[in-house]
Parts: sequence; structure tokens; C-alpha cells
Amino acid sequence: MGGTLSTAVDIVLNSLVLGSVFLIVAVGLNIIYGLSRVMNLAHGSLYAIGAYTGYTLVASGLNYFAAVLIAPIIVGLLGLILERSVIAPMRSRSMVYTLILTYGLMFLLDGLIKQIWGNEPRFLDLPQFMRATVPILGSHYPVFRLVTLLITAAVMAALMLFLGKTKIGMALRASSTIPEMVSCLGINMNNVHIGAFVLGCMLAGVAGIIAGPLTTIDPIMGHEMLISSFVVIVIGGLGSLRGAVIAALLIGAVQTLAEFFITDLAMVIIYILMAVILALMPRGILGEGKFE
Amino acid sequence: MIDPTSIPGEEKAASLAKIIVPAAIFIAIAILPFVLKNRFYLSLINEMMIFGLLAMSLDVLLGYTGLLSFMHNAYLGIGAYIVGLFLIHVSPTSLWLACFVGVIATSLIALPVGWVQVRTGGLAFALLTLAFGMMFFTIVWKWYSLTGGDDGLMGVPSPEVHLFGWHLGNTGDPAVMYLLTLFVVSSCYVLTRRIINSPFGAVLGAIRENEERASFVGINVRRYKLYGWMLACILAGISGALFILYKGYIGPTTMSAFAGAGILMMVLLGGMGTLWGPLVGSAIFIYIQDYISTMTEHWEIYLGLVVIFLVLFMPKGFVGLGNYLKRLRKG
Repeated sequence: MGGTLSTAVDIVLNSLVLGSVFLIVAVGLNIIYGLSRVMNLAHGSLYAIGAYTGYTLVASGLNYFAAVLIAPIIVGLLGLILERSVIAPMRSRSMVYTLILTYGLMFLLDGLIKQIWGNEPRFLDLPQFMRATVPILGSHYPVFRLVTLLITAAVMAALMLFLGKTKIGMALRASSTIPEMVSCLGINMNNVHIGAFVLGCMLAGVAGIIAGPLTTIDPIMGHEMLISSFVVIVIGGLGSLRGAVIAALLIGAVQTLAEFFITDLAMVIIYILMAVILALMPRGILGEGKFE
Repeated sequence: MIDPTSIPGEEKAASLAKIIVPAAIFIAIAILPFVLKNRFYLSLINEMMIFGLLAMSLDVLLGYTGLLSFMHNAYLGIGAYIVGLFLIHVSPTSLWLACFVGVIATSLIALPVGWVQVRTGGLAFALLTLAFGMMFFTIVWKWYSLTGGDDGLMGVPSPEVHLFGWHLGNTGDPAVMYLLTLFVVSSCYVLTRRIINSPFGAVLGAIRENEERASFVGINVRRYKLYGWMLACILAGISGALFILYKGYIGPTTMSAFAGAGILMMVLLGGMGTLWGPLVGSAIFIYIQDYISTMTEHWEIYLGLVVIFLVLFMPKGFVGLGNYLKRLRKG
């Protein structure tokens, strides 16, 4: 018999897990937007590619944790190619064109995913010990979900140390506020743009592979994640990393609760919440562009 | 709008051509159902006009106000579903009342959405159109008892058309539907052209060019953005009413993000900020779609590639290409 305590534990942990996936995707989007003012609508597709790459790597006999390291690198390389070929020429044009371009990129990547991996859903094979459950306060919680939380914590800690403590991180934070000044100090902004895009894509790849075991891997997983991460970054404030943390955990919790109590129209609750928050705080919870 | 490529000496000839050319095109399209016996092409042109109206309404938003809506087709869908439900459940014969109710209801749904959207910045506006569009898609898809879910709304009756006391016939007849669409779309075009060329249109243009400066001269930017949004959504609702009368059926795929990208591509293809460009763009797009979709299943890849190509190399669409060639010829 489950009991209310174990159900509560399940809900809390599930919302943390969901929130942590939202968080990594949204932080990736925000890093790209904060540093190079590009809103990448193909981000959801890159996330899906991360999941599919992870699936292929694990299916070909690689260890899951090795795949967690390699898949983001592959997605990052793809990001590098995309940045150099189509995103960089758009730098001087209006935001509207960049948005439409990355929207086209989203359809192209989705089409390629369907071409390579097909339409049918895939399942990521996990190592034996991760499929077990651990008892937490009367609830039997799957180990891989806890591993997801650990990976997210590690990624976020590494990112915070990188941005907060290193010289490069300092330069990045400065270039999100006054890019002209930073480039006057001898830092090549072009490299900052490339670095931001690749870093963002790698984060999408990480999110993809850790989300792989949580859901089935299918071609539309990217669309759902794209929309959810928009909701997160708009609520948190565009380009604001701390805002993204708060908003991701909030949306993760609300969505888990909504899915638990009313199944079908859970997303509608999220949109209503978003509309209410934006009506009160049009620039998001923490305001736009606080890149730290 | 002043055409920067026009040359002063040619103004008189150009203004005459500006009346004659659209009139000639209008008459040519209007006599088509009496000449053309192939019903397939008639329906194809009908569809081009309906989606042309939708693309034109997106152009009001994108080309004149500078706001991007990714899923403008959602408002076509809402209009179509409401008109269809009205015809099925309330009154199967009153055509104009159904259209009126459909357009009013669409604008009542668009109003709160627009109110939230214009409060945020230009970029968040675009992201929110996608989020709200997906919300409407999900609602239509999941609310099986009302909308028919996956199967779509079927069995919409075809009412009789009475126009200025004339009895034209039944909307189930392609030729009648064609003339009705032509009448509605051309009046919407003339009306929108008039609105865009008014001081109100100039205010929208000012917001597009520089939002901050517009607010300094005393324009309430949020309010005018909302007006622009409402105009675009009302036009989209009208196109939705035409859509359901023409097809007699609507499914959730018409409201998907994929279809939304198609509308965006019609505007890009024709050239944004021209109003008639999107009408041409939709004609080209629907013709190509009809042609390609019979040959390949990887339509998504081509759609993506064409959008990327258009943005990179032809940002002003075919209209821009025409102007470029004109300039080239005149040196």
C-alpha cells in the first residue's frame, strides 16, 4: 500500500527531475541568447538529437556514462557547423530574420531525425543497477531518476564555477552586458559568439541524453521541450540564468502536480500560470538579461 | 507606402497602372469559374485565396507592425471550428450569422492572449505566439467530445448563400464558394489596404521602425500593438470561416506548428510589408505543396531548406527580387 507520504515523496522528486531537465535546456537557450542575442528555435531539435545520439551510442554497446560525455560533444560539433554556416551570416540582420531562420533549421533537423532514426519511438537501454529502485521514506524510487538529478547538479555546479570563478567566465559575463567594451579590451567577440552557441548546444545534448530514459525518444520530443523551455525562460526573464533556475523548478513542480491530478490538459494549466505571471511581471520574475 | 524604387517622371503612368492592373487581375479571377470547367483547379485557386487572406493578415503583423507570430494559423483554426460548430449545433442555414459569431468569438479569444503578449518585449511576443498556438492545438486535439479530436470536425452542413438580395447557390458548389471567397478576400484586401495607408497604419510603421522613439512622441505602443494584433486575428478569423465553408471539414493538423511555418513561408516568399506579396506567396506555396507532396514524404526537410534559403538570400521575397531586377534594368 503506497500511502500519502510515499506519493508526496514521488511527486517532489519527480518535479525536481522534470525541473532539472527544463533547467539544462533553458540555461543553454539563455546562454546563447544572453551572449549573442540569438534565440535558437532549433534548440528542441538539438535536444532530440542528443537523446537519439545517446540511444545509438548505448545501443552500440557503450557505457551509459561514457555516452553522457560523448553525446553532448557530438551535438556541440553539430552546433559549431550550424553556427559557422547559417547563424553567423545573420548577425547583422534584424532579430525577426534570425528567428525565422532557426525555425527553418528546426524543421530541417526534425526531418533529418525522421530520415535517420524513423518515426517509431526508441527506448534507451540502461545498465542493470540503474533500473533498480531505492526505498526513500516508504517510496520505491528508480535509481536512474536520482542519477539524472546528480548529473544536473554536477553540470550546473561546473557551469557556475566556470562563469563565476574563471577568467573566461568573467569575460563572458562582461560581454553579455557591454559587448563593445569587452571587444575594445581585446577579446574577440566572434569567438564569444561561437563559444556561446557551442556551449548552449552541448547543454541541449546533455539534457537530451539524461531525459532519454525518463520518456520515450520520439521525433516530437523536441517540440514539447522547446515550448516548455520557452515558457521557462520567458517566466524567468530572457537571458537571466538565476531566473531560469527558479522558473524551471516552478514549472517542473506545477506540471508534475497537474499531470498527477488532471491528466489530459496539464499543459493548459502551465499556460494559464504563465499568462498570470506575465500579466503581473511582464519582464519575467528576475527581469531580462541578468546574466549570472 | 512610398516605393523607394519609383522614379518621379513615371508617377502618372504608375498611378494609372495601380488601378488598372489589380482591376484586370480581379476580373480575370472572377470570370474563371464561368470559363474553366476543371473543378480541381477551381478549388486549388479557392484555397490559394483563403490562405492568401491568412498570409495577408500575418503580414499586417509582421511587415507593418514588426511583430512575429509563429502560429497565426491557430486563429484560422479557431474561426473555422467555431463557425463549424455553430452550423452543426445551432443553425445549419444562417451563413452570415455563423460567420459573424465565428469572427467575434475569434477576436474575443485573441484579445486576452494579445493583451498578455503585447506587455512583453518583441522577442518574448514571438515566443509566446508559439506557446499559445501550441496550447490551442493541444486543446483542439484533446477535447474529443467537442472538436472530434484527431478525426476533426466532420459533417459541417453547407448553407445557401444570399448576397445583397441575390441567391447565389449552395456553398457545397465549388463555383459558388469560389465567388464568395473572391468577394470576401478582395473586400478584406481593399479594407486592409485602406487601414494600412491611414494615420493608424503610419503609427504601426513607426512602432516597427523604432519602438522607443514612437513612445517618446506620445504613442501608446502597447495599445497600438494590441490593435495591430486584433486586426490580424480578425482577418485570420474571417479566413477560418471561409476555410470551413470551403472544405466542410477541419482537423487539428491545420492548427499545427508545421502549418504555421507554411503561413510564415507564404509571407516570406511573397515579400513582407507589401500586403499583396503574401497573396502571391500563398499561390506559389500552395501550388508547390500540391505538386511536391504527391512525390515525396520528406516535405519537412525541403520546407526547412527553403525557409533557410529564403532568409539568407531572398529576405524580401519575390517582390524584392522583382524590385532588384527593375533597378538592375534601369541601371
